[in-house]
Amino acid sequence: MAIFTMEDVKKTFTNGEVKEEVLKGINLTLHEGEITALVGASGSGKSTLLTIAAGLQPASGGQVLFEGKNMTEMNAEQIRKIRACRFGFVFQFAHLVPFLTVEEQLLLMFDASETTLKKHEQTKEIDRILKLVGMDHRKHAYPASLSGGEKQRIALARALIHQPSVLFADEPTASLDSKRSRDVMRLIRELTRTLDITTLMVTHDEDMLTYADHVVKMSDGLVVNG
Amino acid sequence: MNLAWKEMKKNKVRFMILGSIIFLVSLLTFLISGLANGLSQDNASLIKALPDGQFYLDEDADETYSFSRIDKRVQAEFLHTRKDAAAISIQMSFLSDDSGNRRSAAFVTSTASPFFTDVKSGEIVLDGSLEEEGIKVGDTLTTAQYSGTFTVKGFADGKKFSHAPAAYINMEDYKDIFNVEEMQLLFLPEEDHSTDITGMHSFSKEEFLQTIPSYSAEQLSLNMMVWFLVVISGMLFAIFFYMMNVQKIGLYGILKAIGVKTGTLFKMMWTQMLMITMTALLLSVTCSQLFTLMAPEGMPFSLTAQATIQLSLVFLVIGFTGATLSGIGIKKVEPLQAIQQGEV
Repeated sequence: MAIFTMEDVKKTFTNGEVKEEVLKGINLTLHEGEITALVGASGSGKSTLLTIAAGLQPASGGQVLFEGKNMTEMNAEQIRKIRACRFGFVFQFAHLVPFLTVEEQLLLMFDASETTLKKHEQTKEIDRILKLVGMDHRKHAYPASLSGGEKQRIALARALIHQPSVLFADEPTASLDSKRSRDVMRLIRELTRTLDITTLMVTHDEDMLTYADHVVKMSDGLVVNG
Repeated sequence: MNLAWKEMKKNKVRFMILGSIIFLVSLLTFLISGLANGLSQDNASLIKALPDGQFYLDEDADETYSFSRIDKRVQAEFLHTRKDAAAISIQMSFLSDDSGNRRSAAFVTSTASPFFTDVKSGEIVLDGSLEEEGIKVGDTLTTAQYSGTFTVKGFADGKKFSHAPAAYINMEDYKDIFNVEEMQLLFLPEEDHSTDITGMHSFSKEEFLQTIPSYSAEQLSLNMMVWFLVVISGMLFAIFFYMMNVQKIGLYGILKAIGVKTGTLFKMMWTQMLMITMTALLLSVTCSQLFTLMAPEGMPFSLTAQATIQLSLVFLVIGFTGATLSGIGIKKVEPLQAIQQGEV
């Protein structure tokens, strides 16, 4: 079932008198529980497409439909609520909050998503997700004491703790070595399958495409296959 | 989750540095404020102790009480129509005791009034500070221009003028000493609005205080220091939180990206500002009150609870304003920009 549909999405950046059309009318559909990988050369518009889909920047034209609702017509607060409650994010860097422990990073996500879970249920859920990412032994650690791979696992746990419908992953393995990259990708695939989460991922690494259900190739602001 | 406290706990040194600066600035502000108020009391407690009202000086006196001479007829008419009014004279001179020690004093006399001590000829009532210097009831004092002697009848607390203790004497003795017939000013208590009197210039109590030589210059410079310190502390808050916010733009962007409300980020900053300011103020109020107890005898220092509360509130408001102004950038932080910036 389609959860996310992008219809004729365009994005134009204006720099003085120069207008640059980064997305020239993208049509893309994401299906529930599937991993879609966006690939393409630098400047092809894949990261721009991901950030528009994630509500991090507006499109210049077209429609972004999430569960049938047009996100391009929503106000900033409505989009924030969707980001907090229905989306999860993993970026190239973990971007963990430096002054929070691993457990607190996840509690923060519960706060942001205005969860209805009670404290003890939240603790239980944190233990469960940390076990899933293999980080239950570092529950009370601060980010400074974690390795790059461990940080990315925590970032993944943070992205999934509130059980989002869609996971956006922008180059999630770019800052990791090949072994850790494979570990993280395997984890993304396992977790999104287990939790039935739709994933849109941007990657440069062709090895990572083996973990995707669909590969969408982009070039010069257009989808060239998919 | 209390993000503010968690950050402060993790970055103790950074927040302690700001807290200690605010503590020092607020302590200095309290001390200078205490000094300003103390000097103000030392300079004019005789006048400040009077109720609010109107003071009338001779129009030709150039707003200087010592040049003022009230026409006897005008005075008589005024006192006849306003029973609560008083005619007053104040003149600086010296008092000498039996052993020849000379002390500066402000000689004060007035017509019958509940606000001024009634003294018989040959008697004198002194400010309490002279009792602390060893003068006792029954001692005899004299002054250069006076042929007789004064017998000390008692002491009145907090009656100083132009940094000298007040000495209440009888009107006839005053005229004899200073060789004058007219009084210097008229005082009409509890009168908000001035009454026009031909040839007279009226002043409210606060305006009259400004005519005392050195009073306004002293208060102006000290109050300027107090407000300068308040402004500095506001700027400190603004600069500190601005620097912190610049460093945390990436973090704020990520938090916004994952759905944390901008209001939550502002609350975090305000909570930190409140915690730092309250702690610093608590310490500086404690220290300044201890200083009040331990201040050397004779040091003109008076820090009232009202001044402490007022300044504390000003610090809180200015800290809040400084932090908020510097935090406006938080509202403008774009999550995307932070993500593209790299690791925070």
